[in-house]
Amino acid sequence: MINTKELWKNCLGQIENDVSKANFSTWFRNTCILKEDAGIIYIGVPNEFVRDWLKNKYHKLITKTIADFFDTMRAVEYSITKIEGIQEEVKNQNNASFINKELPLKDLYNINKEDNLNPRYKFDSFIVGSFNELAYAAAQAIIAKPGMSYNPFFVYGGTGLGKTHLIQGIGNSVKEKYPDKKVHYITLEKFATDLVNSFQFGNNKANSFKEKYRKYDLLIIDDIQFIGKMEKTQEELFHTFNTFYENNKQIVFSSDKHPNFIPGLEDRLKSRFAAGMIVDVSEPEYESRLAILKVKLQEFGINLDEEVVQYIASSIQGNIRELEGSLNTIICQYRLKNRPISLNEVKTLLKNNIKPKKGVVIKDIVKIIADFYNLEEAEIYEKTRRKEIVKARQVVMYILREDFNISYPLIGQKLGGKDHTTVIHSHLKIKSSIKTDASLVSELEQIRILFK
Amino acid sequence: MKLECNFEKLKNSIGQVEKVTGKNLTLPILSSILLIASGKTLKLRATNLSVGVEIEIPAKIEKEGVIAVSGSVLSNVFSNIFQTENIILEESENNIIIKTKKSKIKLKCQPYEDFPTIPVVSGDSFNIDSTKLVDGIKSVYYSSAVSDIKPEISSVYVYSNEDSLVFVSTDSFRLAEKKVKIKGIVDVSGILLPFKNIPEIIRIFGDIKGDLTVFFNKNQISIAFEGVYFTSRVIDGIFPDYKQIMPKENTTEAIILKQDLLSALKLSNIFSDKFNQLNLVIKPKEKVFEISSSNSIVGENNTTLDAALTGENVELSFNYKYFLDCLTSVNSDSLSLKLNQANRPMVISGVSDTSFTYLIMPMNR
Repeated sequence: MINTKELWKNCLGQIENDVSKANFSTWFRNTCILKEDAGIIYIGVPNEFVRDWLKNKYHKLITKTIADFFDTMRAVEYSITKIEGIQEEVKNQNNASFINKELPLKDLYNINKEDNLNPRYKFDSFIVGSFNELAYAAAQAIIAKPGMSYNPFFVYGGTGLGKTHLIQGIGNSVKEKYPDKKVHYITLEKFATDLVNSFQFGNNKANSFKEKYRKYDLLIIDDIQFIGKMEKTQEELFHTFNTFYENNKQIVFSSDKHPNFIPGLEDRLKSRFAAGMIVDVSEPEYESRLAILKVKLQEFGINLDEEVVQYIASSIQGNIRELEGSLNTIICQYRLKNRPISLNEVKTLLKNNIKPKKGVVIKDIVKIIADFYNLEEAEIYEKTRRKEIVKARQVVMYILREDFNISYPLIGQKLGGKDHTTVIHSHLKIKSSIKTDASLVSELEQIRILFK
Repeated sequence: MKLECNFEKLKNSIGQVEKVTGKNLTLPILSSILLIASGKTLKLRATNLSVGVEIEIPAKIEKEGVIAVSGSVLSNVFSNIFQTENIILEESENNIIIKTKKSKIKLKCQPYEDFPTIPVVSGDSFNIDSTKLVDGIKSVYYSSAVSDIKPEISSVYVYSNEDSLVFVSTDSFRLAEKKVKIKGIVDVSGILLPFKNIPEIIRIFGDIKGDLTVFFNKNQISIAFEGVYFTSRVIDGIFPDYKQIMPKENTTEAIILKQDLLSALKLSNIFSDKFNQLNLVIKPKEKVFEISSSNSIVGENNTTLDAALTGENVELSFNYKYFLDCLTSVNSDSLSLKLNQANRPMVISGVSDTSFTYLIMPMNR
């Protein structure tokens, strides 16, 4: 890796001697080397006037000068970039601004309209822990070779665990690395609305919808789990998918469920999602939570006691969004009081944010499982040996035992006065069926998702 | 170089390109106009590295050649020659000799080798009637921010929506939006035309009648018409998603004659303070629409206007200048003012013309 800044500084020093002062300050001020890639030097220029002129008039000089300093150079390319810090002097705003209220435009700047990416989501601020390292590694592989390594890339996991950050991070990195690739981020909801709109305007527009999406090189669709009931959207997505896949263009999806558990998802889409890479993002463990908190604190430029940070990390479990929320409360207090916050204060502040450990209400679980099997809740408690009810009842017992660690006698008692041996039998039966019955396994997984 | 051409055409073209020659620039050659005689045409080119203009006029070329002459000198010379016949330009030893029937003028030339090329824009393109383009831009550009602090709003934002091309400008105190219907429009995801280059577009294409061809990409835009080629850089930025601040409902509405309002505003102008404050009182039940302004040195005035009013009472202050700016852009005899309580913008639009919308934020009292 060469130091492009140093290289360009040397080159400019050399070029300055060869051209007139006026020419130098007009054409070479505000330029930089963007990057060096396999011997090709990319020079960033402020606009097309400069690009054309450097290309036509000074190309030889530039090439020669760079070659003097950097002998493995093969070619020089010019591209237009936004160069910071060249804005003209800030003029005094007129008086009106003091008294006039502004339109609330400020918050609307961030999101890039062309690709919908939020520049805030970068990998610099992405914390990698064991809970998401697989997803992260896959994302990096995709950035290295979009469309070639894992296509499609499907990330799933619970809410607030950084899925959106991850997939937008892919978008932002790809955009940075390959400026000519067209990246587009969209939520499924927007995709569907777009499709509906295109129908409204007849054939012509329907085609432009297809064209619109197919021109991108990287398509990122967020929250795909809502696709279940949208048949036409599924069809359109299917075709879009095929076009992307055939042309080796990368597609990224995120969802809160594994594709197999998205209700109403057509099999042809399911199998296509599975063709690439499906990874989950789980909840961060203690160390990761600690790391996340520390990065956030650094962003805000605030120091909290190690003890306090550890307390927050240990008491707020699961969701990263909640973790951030609690931290924001504390930071707000910190700024208000203008002094470090003690552990005790933190404890009182977070009292409301900490979820009490869920007590298990057996009735609720029965209800969820009964719903899942399309049965009445009361039927589970009935003394009947109808096959479908027996199965559901056994699953209830199994789950209560496995996941909630409730004693056999208590389970029996709650489920209509069964003997504890009945419960043991049910438990064992399901346990052994799992080994052979794949559909049962997937049923159990789906049920477990419902508990979250 | 030696050529003969029509005087009027040359004079007009010089007038057009001279305006974009660079002033106060580090590169002195940019203050000149480049004359290129080749084939059957004379090309005039000028640029300040933000805008570039090239105009081609027919000429009888006896000897081809290229020269660069100071733009201001050339335009001064031409505005003071009075004749209608053809004119002869001839290059001799780093000078250019301009021969008319009655006068002979010799001007010093600049070395033309350093004169830059102007970019030829490749990318998407569409056709638009010149009056529509100029109308769209003219209707909104006065609202854009003058300072360069936020380049993305120091611009006119152009994008396509359904069957229209939409022009938007804002300086964050007011916002103007104009929709222009265009047949066979292409997808324009958003072009930010720099505010500073807008007057050039209006000046050059304001007098032209016909279909213009516009080429654009994310860095540059070009507009061409027969012998005229205009190109400007495009701001690399994101225009705020202004749709979100467009008020969807309102508590008070007033319909008022444009001419009445215009006279009242002009009167208020005399009495406004240094903040251009104008007070607006609307009381629908009592049928009161009153405009007032006061100035501690000059005096004060109160004007009531006839208006059709609905909704709640409202009392707000505005910068009268913002008010006045938009009136010429409304193609309708009566205006509709939609207001909400304090801190929410007022929406102005024509009653019979829905293509133009204008937002003004009220003042703090």
